[in-house]
Amino acid sequence: MRFLTLLVTYSILLSSCKQEKQQAAIPINKLEGTQEIISYAKGFSITNYKNHKRVVVNSAWPNSDKVFTYLLVNKGEKTPEHDINSKIIKIPIKTLVAVSTTNIPALEYLGVDNSLIGFPNTKYICSEKIRKRVDNGDIKELGNDLELNIELLLELNPDMVLGFSVNGVDKKLDQIEQLGVPVVLDGSWTEQHPLGRAEWIKFVAAFYNKEKEADSIFKTIETDYLKAKEAAKTVARKPTVMSGSTFKDIWSIPGGESFIAKYLEDANTNYLWKENDNNGSIQLNFENVLEKAQNAEFWIGAGNFDAKEDMLQGHKGYAFFNAYKNNQVYSYTKRKGAKDGLLYYELGTLRPDLILKDLIKIAHPELLNDYELFFFKRLE
Amino acid sequence: MPDTKTYKLSFIVLTLVLLLCFFANISLGSVFIPFQDVFNGLIGNPTENESWQYIIHEYRLPKAFTAIIVGSGLGVSGLLMQTLFRNPLAGPFVLGITSGSSLGVALVIMGASLFGGAFAGIFVSKWSIVIAASLGSFAVLLLVLIISNKVRDTMAILIIGLMFGSITSATVSVLSYFSSAEELKQYIFWGLGSIGNLTWDELFIFFIIYAIGIIVSLICIKALNTLLLGENYAKSLGLNLKTSRLLIIIATSLLAGTITAFAGPIVFIGLAIPHMTRQLFNTSNHKILLPAVFLFGAIVMLICDSIAQLPSSDLTLPINAITSLIGAPVIIWLLVRKRKMVF
Repeated sequence: MRFLTLLVTYSILLSSCKQEKQQAAIPINKLEGTQEIISYAKGFSITNYKNHKRVVVNSAWPNSDKVFTYLLVNKGEKTPEHDINSKIIKIPIKTLVAVSTTNIPALEYLGVDNSLIGFPNTKYICSEKIRKRVDNGDIKELGNDLELNIELLLELNPDMVLGFSVNGVDKKLDQIEQLGVPVVLDGSWTEQHPLGRAEWIKFVAAFYNKEKEADSIFKTIETDYLKAKEAAKTVARKPTVMSGSTFKDIWSIPGGESFIAKYLEDANTNYLWKENDNNGSIQLNFENVLEKAQNAEFWIGAGNFDAKEDMLQGHKGYAFFNAYKNNQVYSYTKRKGAKDGLLYYELGTLRPDLILKDLIKIAHPELLNDYELFFFKRLE
Repeated sequence: MPDTKTYKLSFIVLTLVLLLCFFANISLGSVFIPFQDVFNGLIGNPTENESWQYIIHEYRLPKAFTAIIVGSGLGVSGLLMQTLFRNPLAGPFVLGITSGSSLGVALVIMGASLFGGAFAGIFVSKWSIVIAASLGSFAVLLLVLIISNKVRDTMAILIIGLMFGSITSATVSVLSYFSSAEELKQYIFWGLGSIGNLTWDELFIFFIIYAIGIIVSLICIKALNTLLLGENYAKSLGLNLKTSRLLIIIATSLLAGTITAFAGPIVFIGLAIPHMTRQLFNTSNHKILLPAVFLFGAIVMLICDSIAQLPSSDLTLPINAITSLIGAPVIIWLLVRKRKMVF
């Protein structure tokens, strides 16, 4: 009998989540609208209608089969008919809680950074302007990104929370949503093309009615990126590159379809794992990497190390690599915020042009004589 | 042994303390809300600041109820386990129930790295973790039940439960070894326990399963008292050992399994609350012990949560850190003062 009760409860639980999936399939909105032009990003689309916009995120996390629809309705306008799965957001939004530092440059470039009123783990923020607002108490510290302080968040009562999800299993974000604060998921980190990541500035801009600004910012970055890529192509020599670092004896290496591999390709280098078809990182053992990469010319993106000596404390084997012996190890730790956050993590998403130029400067220094490395530094 | 009158008084005092802790818990939090407004918010009157009403109703109230359910449920399941196995170190963890839940949750959060995206896709919904944890503990419970039918010895079941725990934690280790930093972080945060993220709907389902568990344990009171005399003696008194054992195991699993599913693996409470209660009440009669453990567990959990919220500061601490940090010294103090274990 008790088993029966338990079984019934489980089946209720299971059926409730099935229902959720079915509802997601209902088609909506038969109105005519114009598509915002998105050139590189694959994870979102924006359709403009007369009094509202429809923003669809179809890649909130890797391999996500869930589609999120946001209806952005101008304040004062009537909410159009919609299905129950569309979330309504009144725009332009005035106050925002973000959880990822990658959103901060976008807000600054769009000139709407004043709307940011809450952030978890503010110590990771590098931007001096935003740091000042944190120190003044204009931006409230909300604890940890996985355990946002719900009480403080409710008291701030922001127009929306700009969040992200690693795999859709996020109790806290669901809870915030149920407490009446709309949560919008940013999937920029799932993009495979560096410019695709940067293009998510158009997504953020939509909530502020700042598409024009976003468009021109993105165009500048795109032009810059493509110019650098073209220049790199003119060199015939392709230096070999290795990447990643080990923890214990597992070496995490960017897969051949990852955005890092794309950067290395655009910088006209020969990335040793370019044939691999993984778009995330792959785990290899130490010998495997040593055999393949011992003679690699450059080692780019070697963890968060600050100096070569620190590396050896992690693993003695680093010293066997030629790139290590020849002082050709580069990490993205050049610029740090006041509390040791890495600027690479914050600004890198929006400025792929700077990352690409860094890589070109490392691999083909003759191409960028006057350029100084921005994110990367050579480990001494 | 003190007479029933003294116990009556103790129960009245405990109930009053519980009410006091409940109101203290609702009044304290990261956001300072004056007592007048807390009271207004509770009875539905407007508060000075509109968001306060929300904080009290939608966040602090469900959290306080969750604390009561978690504390009392884990305390009771710990008491059942300690009596069934006649082992002062037993708790809901020993049957492998909690590790079963952990395995389920680990598969959902970190399984994608090992088995590919398809696996994680099955579960993605706001119930995913609850369902995975429940199925995990349910699977381990089924195995333990099947085995307990074959193995007559309670000690053997205890060992088998521990072995299941080892197998599942080993599997979790393998999964975490191949997971990304973000996934690991998510799993570790689940492991820290959290009683503040249930909404009223979830709390309702949580409460129903918990209530069934409590009712089953009430049915077991007589059997528990007889078991204290030893299995053979219990048998000679005409106790159907097999049925009683089954009922006790089911009650524990329902309580510990659901609590772990909804609030994560909360440590210490299940093991310690029965001991604290025995020290204070100085009895082994389950008619007294069980309701006392119930009240006491709820009180301790409410206090731990109030401390974890670090009132008036922006920080909150993981609940598991507090349950052990505050609880363990109290037990040590009790044992030193009384100089022997009541068991």
